[in-house]
Amino acid sequence: MPLTKESKREEGPGELPGTLVFTGERSRLGYRLNKLAMSLVDPANRKSFLADEAAYMSAAGLTPAEREMVRRRDWAAMIAHGGNIYLILKIAGTVGQTLLQMGAQMRGETLDALMATLPGHGTAGGH
Amino acid sequence: MARIIGGIGTSHAPSIAHAYDKKLQAEPLWAPLFDGYKPAKAWLEQAKPDLMIVFYNDHMNRFFFDAYPTFALGVGDRHELADEGWGKRDFPPLSGDAEFGWHLARSLVADEFDPTICQEIAIDHGILSVLPLLCDAPWPAPVIPIAVNVIQHPLPSALRLWKLGQAIRRAVESYPRDLKVVVLGTGGMSHQLHGERFGFMNPEWDNRFMDLLEADPLALTRMTHREYMALGGAESVELIMWLGMRGALDDRVRRVHRNYHAPLITGYGLVVLENAGPSAA
Repeated sequence: MPLTKESKREEGPGELPGTLVFTGERSRLGYRLNKLAMSLVDPANRKSFLADEAAYMSAAGLTPAEREMVRRRDWAAMIAHGGNIYLILKIAGTVGQTLLQMGAQMRGETLDALMATLPGHGTAGGH
Repeated sequence: MARIIGGIGTSHAPSIAHAYDKKLQAEPLWAPLFDGYKPAKAWLEQAKPDLMIVFYNDHMNRFFFDAYPTFALGVGDRHELADEGWGKRDFPPLSGDAEFGWHLARSLVADEFDPTICQEIAIDHGILSVLPLLCDAPWPAPVIPIAVNVIQHPLPSALRLWKLGQAIRRAVESYPRDLKVVVLGTGGMSHQLHGERFGFMNPEWDNRFMDLLEADPLALTRMTHREYMALGGAESVELIMWLGMRGALDDRVRRVHRNYHAPLITGYGLVVLENAGPSAA
């Protein structure tokens, strides 16, 4: 039976510039990293992570390359490695970084440079 | 018979929760957002719904990729709040409605929609970032949450959300109790949170989306995920959840209120619609 018009449209998201669409392939690649990040919704786990990050990553079964990405706070590398942004954000939050700091790094610029591009830059009440 | 009296489409974003909790509502950057919710809140106070059915997505707080539902339905009498990684917010849990929730489950499955049925579904900013802008705690009406996979592709299509909205309407209208129901669709308008395109916004498209949602929603159901992502950034594909809300309403709607503000990295949109009857055509 031929694909219906509807299902055919949804064959895949395709590639978009500057974008890593979170596909099943990425989810599989980033599974360990994402699973570790998911565990950080528990405050006791956040405490353990902060107390001994290396031991926590080891117990989670991260590969040496994955541990190095976390150690270097290399958000761009984690996303490229299948990290999901909502999960990697939990690692960032646990170590005291914000989404905007992550964004600046992923764009390859400083936080100040990113902030200067926001429409509300300089308006009272901004970050 | 229960009936749907209207719908609300709204952005959700952690930044809204952050600004609320930091009490920045009156600051110049935030006032156009928070003031923009006041007419919606007034409408809800006047409409007094008995139930709010809410399309939203979980942001990796209740569900993980070990077993990720395309659609999940919260049927409990109470929904706890999620800790997203930086502590729970200071609000009471949401109330649910198990009797209606299970009715909805039976009706949807009979109607060929098969959600994961959840007796526990901790709620994250997908609902909680905007709920306090729409009503005061203690929450005035039970919430029936419908979580949608808009994160791990393959995603349900925009048309599928529209049809789910229609199925929800049939479920509401087959419920014997005389309840007034409001349907909410939450989801970020233009935004992209990852990669070199981080911070992408498209206010012109966000406003066109709200125009079409009101007047020609079928045009929005024909768009692919790729088209949504290209126009509004990868994470803006969440907008398909607004179509779930719209699909539950009449063909014709009356706009009660609309607001838009885009000072940072996402367009904060809001629209309140009332049913206005079937299409004249």
